[in-house]
Amino acid sequence: MKRLNIILGLLILAQFSWAQSDILSPAPGQDMPIVITGATAHLGNGTKIDNAAIAFSKGKISFVGRAADWSGTDDHIMIDATGKHVYPGFISANTTLGLREIDAVNATRDEREIGMLNPNVRSIIAYNTDSDIIPTLRSNGVLMAQVCPVGGRMSGKSSIVQLDAWNWEDAAYKTDEGQHLNWPSAFSYNWRRGTYGKNKDYNKEIKAIREFLDDAKAYCSISEDKLEQANLKLESMRMCFDKKAQLYIHVNSAKEIQESVLFAEEYGMKIVIVGGIEAYKITDFLVEHQVPVILQRVTSLPNGNDVDIDMPFKKASLLEDAGVLYCFSVGGFWRERNLPFQAGQSVAFGLDYEAAVSGLTLKTAVILGIDDRVGSLERGKDATLFISDGDALDYLGNKVGRIFIQGRDVSTENKQKALYRKYKKKYERQ
Amino acid sequence: MIHFRQKFILVLTILCVCATSWGQEGFPYPGVDDSRSDHVFISNANIHISFDKKIVNGSIIVKNGRIAAIGTDLEKPETASEYDAQGMNIYPSFVELYSDYGLKKEEKKPSDRNNWFSSSPDESPKGAYGWNAAIKPQKQAFRDFSVDKKAASNLRSHGFGTVLSHHKDGIARGTATLVTLSEKNSQTALLNEQSGNFFSFNKGSSTTSYPRSLMGCISLIKQSYLDAQWYAAEGHKKETNLSLQAWNDNMSLTQFFVANDKLNVLRADKIAKAFGQKYIFVGGGDEYMRIDELKNTGSRFVIPVDYPAAMDVEDPFAAEIVDYSDMLHWELAKTNAARLNKAGIEFSFTSDGLERGDNMITQVEYAEKAGLSKEHALKALTETPARMAGAYEQIGSLEQGKWANFLIVDGTLFEGGKLVSNWVQGAEHSINPEKEQLTTGDYSFEVGEDSYTLNVSEGRMGLALKIVIDDSTDISLKQSTSMNRISLSFSPEDSKEKVRLSGFWTEDKMSGRGQLTSGEWVNWSASLMDKKEKEAQKRKKKGDITSKIDQPVVYPFMAFGNKELPAAKTYLIKNATVWTNEADGILEQTDVLVKEGKIKKIGKNLKQGDAIVIDGTGKHLTPGIIDEHTHIAATRGINEGTQASSAEVSVMEVVNSEDIDIYRQLSGGVTTAQILHGSANPIGGQSALIKLKWGYTPDLMLYPNADPFIKFALGENVKQSWNRQGSRYPRTRMGVEQVYENYFTKAKEYGQVKASGQAYRVDLELEALLQILNSERFITCHSYQQGEINMLMKLAERYGFKVNTFTHILEGYKVADKMVEHGAGGSSFSDWWAYKYEVIDAIPYNGKLMHDQGVVVAFNSDDAEMARRLNQEAGKAVMYGNMPEEEALKFVTLNPAKLLHIDKEVGSVKEGKHADLVLWSTHPLSVYAKADITMIEGAVFFDRSADQEAREDLKVERSRLIQLMLQEKSSGGKMRKAQGRRKHHYHCDHEEDEGRD
Repeated sequence: MKRLNIILGLLILAQFSWAQSDILSPAPGQDMPIVITGATAHLGNGTKIDNAAIAFSKGKISFVGRAADWSGTDDHIMIDATGKHVYPGFISANTTLGLREIDAVNATRDEREIGMLNPNVRSIIAYNTDSDIIPTLRSNGVLMAQVCPVGGRMSGKSSIVQLDAWNWEDAAYKTDEGQHLNWPSAFSYNWRRGTYGKNKDYNKEIKAIREFLDDAKAYCSISEDKLEQANLKLESMRMCFDKKAQLYIHVNSAKEIQESVLFAEEYGMKIVIVGGIEAYKITDFLVEHQVPVILQRVTSLPNGNDVDIDMPFKKASLLEDAGVLYCFSVGGFWRERNLPFQAGQSVAFGLDYEAAVSGLTLKTAVILGIDDRVGSLERGKDATLFISDGDALDYLGNKVGRIFIQGRDVSTENKQKALYRKYKKKYERQ
Repeated sequence: MIHFRQKFILVLTILCVCATSWGQEGFPYPGVDDSRSDHVFISNANIHISFDKKIVNGSIIVKNGRIAAIGTDLEKPETASEYDAQGMNIYPSFVELYSDYGLKKEEKKPSDRNNWFSSSPDESPKGAYGWNAAIKPQKQAFRDFSVDKKAASNLRSHGFGTVLSHHKDGIARGTATLVTLSEKNSQTALLNEQSGNFFSFNKGSSTTSYPRSLMGCISLIKQSYLDAQWYAAEGHKKETNLSLQAWNDNMSLTQFFVANDKLNVLRADKIAKAFGQKYIFVGGGDEYMRIDELKNTGSRFVIPVDYPAAMDVEDPFAAEIVDYSDMLHWELAKTNAARLNKAGIEFSFTSDGLERGDNMITQVEYAEKAGLSKEHALKALTETPARMAGAYEQIGSLEQGKWANFLIVDGTLFEGGKLVSNWVQGAEHSINPEKEQLTTGDYSFEVGEDSYTLNVSEGRMGLALKIVIDDSTDISLKQSTSMNRISLSFSPEDSKEKVRLSGFWTEDKMSGRGQLTSGEWVNWSASLMDKKEKEAQKRKKKGDITSKIDQPVVYPFMAFGNKELPAAKTYLIKNATVWTNEADGILEQTDVLVKEGKIKKIGKNLKQGDAIVIDGTGKHLTPGIIDEHTHIAATRGINEGTQASSAEVSVMEVVNSEDIDIYRQLSGGVTTAQILHGSANPIGGQSALIKLKWGYTPDLMLYPNADPFIKFALGENVKQSWNRQGSRYPRTRMGVEQVYENYFTKAKEYGQVKASGQAYRVDLELEALLQILNSERFITCHSYQQGEINMLMKLAERYGFKVNTFTHILEGYKVADKMVEHGAGGSSFSDWWAYKYEVIDAIPYNGKLMHDQGVVVAFNSDDAEMARRLNQEAGKAVMYGNMPEEEALKFVTLNPAKLLHIDKEVGSVKEGKHADLVLWSTHPLSVYAKADITMIEGAVFFDRSADQEAREDLKVERSRLIQLMLQEKSSGGKMRKAQGRRKHHYHCDHEEDEGRD
């Protein structure tokens, strides 16, 4: 045990020395088994274990249970987390992380290709692992993200990444896992008059999608040797027809959600709703059609003067009660670090705490189709998790002390902390 | 001058009446003169000589366009033609005050796109006029007037005889001319050259980019008044400015202000009072929503009758987008006139906004049904507008010597009476009756020997006629109608040959001759079987009146509006954890007594017999949250960014009390907020400090006697980094400094002139800047990078003042020591970054670092959503950098109070301070905290349990109104598509042109 403590000490020292350098290196692979003991473990599946032990080696979780039940061997590095909390790494769905660095500087933006139909573009190759934003997410517990192109009618292919990597190939966790369809709006906004009325072109816009998908379907059903002419855009839809990728439909109003789901079902696609502002109005429909929802930011304003003032806050709870599969999202890049508080806010407005944790972890993994590998503290899954001094869903508790991504001991450091120290030093000298 | 001339003309025209023939005297005529004298004797009529006086069985003698005599025992002059008006009612014809009849419309307004981004100084209008194309008092409608027969005929069909016409374009629109709807010629029609001077808050076709916001419009009007005063006193000696000259000339006329909105009335009235003016307001039909305040202006109104149509809410999802406020307005708009009348507000009606197919008389009938007496309705169309136009000696009633402008009505006006003819200056214009059509329903149909049931219904292409054989079989008829003739054809059962009929029709009958398939001629007829059906249909067409004058309104007029305005009461909050923000720190299990709007006592086991007890057990009581930087509750634009300095504009002028975000933010514990001008230009506008008194009018929300503030801005926004083509100075941080140098130099010089006692032109912009130099107005400066922060502090020091607050200040942590030395505070975001290049070094530890150095630090929102979670933003100060919790809470309470100079009254829980309090469900910095009660000055403005009830009430109200709209639809009322509302959520850099509508 003593030996282990020395190693632990060295590890902490190592982490501290990283913290001293301004430019961070990704962590090396896990070479020694680790066990975290004494913490409250929030498993991500809706349950928790007080005074737990979580052990992992070679990047995979080997044990999750009560500390009293852990009978691991001496070769584990022991991390005493008594009084602390362990969570599966939070997963940010629907982000532009790594595609955007500074909003106002076009040269740093790679999330939006021109044109309406871009199903062929791939976000993964534009994902910048060296973005200064990424470490600021990790230090709040967000350890994985779905990186999505935006804009147009078909935005392109998204991929899921883990947030500690040398380059996009290392980062890639699930590549080209979805197409993103921005469903037309049945109502359009007249800025000058401040009014909101029927979109005259709604049916025309849907027809255009139908034409595209019909063409794509026909194209994809022709065997390759009979194809007269390749078409990258049509070809890109094959992954959705084959159900190797999901169709993420970005849509918000109740009517549009229903129409888009029925529409996409005709093509036999796996559907996920993104946004779903009014999903709470049609929960039966969503349950019946088994369509999950990546919820639009909880901390947003009601979408109308007459809407309950706390409707966005209680949406998750309404979906939970109705049995709809949903997860939280923020829909941005730097703001993703506030993902945990989307869940916290929902707890304040009626959602069960462990259910809220699940909406950041396992449910997200299920919706993104990666729950076989990650998303909960379960034996055999990736050791992608973190330790927080307190309740990570609350500002008063979210203090991320240790981060493990696939077992790698990842730094909690970021550019902002470095700047903090730099200027603290300035004033200390005065 | 003009006033005198006008009177002179009036006298002259009256003298002219004696001439035998009237018209275009001296004009050449073709061939043989055919001018006729109009000498008419109208007899046997009920004559309403004014709105409240009537002669039974009277006569009028019309001669030369005027009423030569009127009375009961008149004899027909020999030369007069006679018009027997037996059974008819005669009324003075109506007067329209808000029209551009006979004037050419201004050219199309320039597209905003062209205007938005070219911010270089605009070219001034050509000629010896003022600099701003929206100010055109020199426009004189009478110079451009000519008769427009088509428009005249349309206006006459609504009952109008006289119109006050002006160019409906621009902010100062120039003078209006009073004309009749005579078709004779323009010389005859033009009664008074100038009978009013018009203003509005819309720049219209103006090509000058300033003003882009409502507050800019208001400043421009104020400055124009001042410039005109200066011009009259001194300015005219230096130069000629025809605009200012005209402005001054127009002051002797009646002043009209096109407000179009209840709050705009209050805004414009403040201008009027400041410059000793009185406006007649052209309203928007929503006056009833704030009737007491409008009454208090002491003004008269011109109100529209273009009530909103019901919305098609058949599709429940489409219905969801419709705002409660729009539904309720649909229901109550018709009561507007009756409510104004009851409140003792004088008003006239305008037909402005009526669509094709609408009729003025029918529209006013709705007002009558909603509780306005027929007499008052008539008054608002005749005497009142005539007096408003200063022409009651000429029109507005039927008296000897007045113009013979009257209506002959079959029946009683506003009681279904039909307008038969509209006489203008003695000339009769008969009014085409509304097109009638066959009543729909079943008819008994006889063709020769055969009897059928004929069904008439509304088809897609007009009327559809069919013979009903049985439930599943019918025979369609071909029909064509023209005027009163109808022809029908059909193939009887088992025949391909046609029966052809021709004849006449009335509302419920048809008859005539026709030929059977055999060629035999027969008589045919059809008559409506159920006459009740006909009556019912007639009634339905009019639409049912459900609105009542005594139906209460809510304040503000929208969802979650108050039935009664919250008022201060005596409250005893028991047993709460009290965050005092004072030396006492956090007090457990403590009571707070609130009385007369103040915190009366803090202690344990307090007792107060008459107090309403609020149980605070397990809850936390904090001071109300103060948002140092917000852009909610502003109307039409948050930036007047057209010039590098817009120090003259003030958000105080455009506070919008009817903004749902006020209520939403109360639910987040916010009690006070500073609404700042945006950050488009280095010197922005003056800010408004408000208490979030949901339901009160803008003026009552303003924090009384607060020190005035102004927004400044640095960095990427003001140098318009987002705009590659931008040409407004400055484009660099270097230029930003020079803008300040320039304006403060000017302000200093201005101050010297002012102090010297010489006459000077009052300049609102320099006045505001001078206040800064004199430390009478304080700066909140949008800023990010340390260099520019330092620059402004050094510049201020050179000019001898302090920068009060840096807002955003995301690099404040780099120069916190310098800020302390200068004495500037920082109002920051907790954790925003990465949205601009200049925030690349922003860190969430900024607040903590500045605080540790002794800077007074606040966290603000600048965002309508985050504003309702500012307690959580304070929580982030604990999360990043371990701020002590008490100090973190001060970031959103006491510290912003200090920055706003109101910490003597608010910001802490202290005996004697304003009872601006929030009772939180749990630890106020936690994500789990909910504001259960938010109190301002001892009045509860938000109560979470009351909010739950309000939601239920809203649901009931909405479904009641939806059902009414559905009824309206099924009874054939006028409908429009479902439409929602979305407010603009302003941020610092929102810069769209809202100076026009």
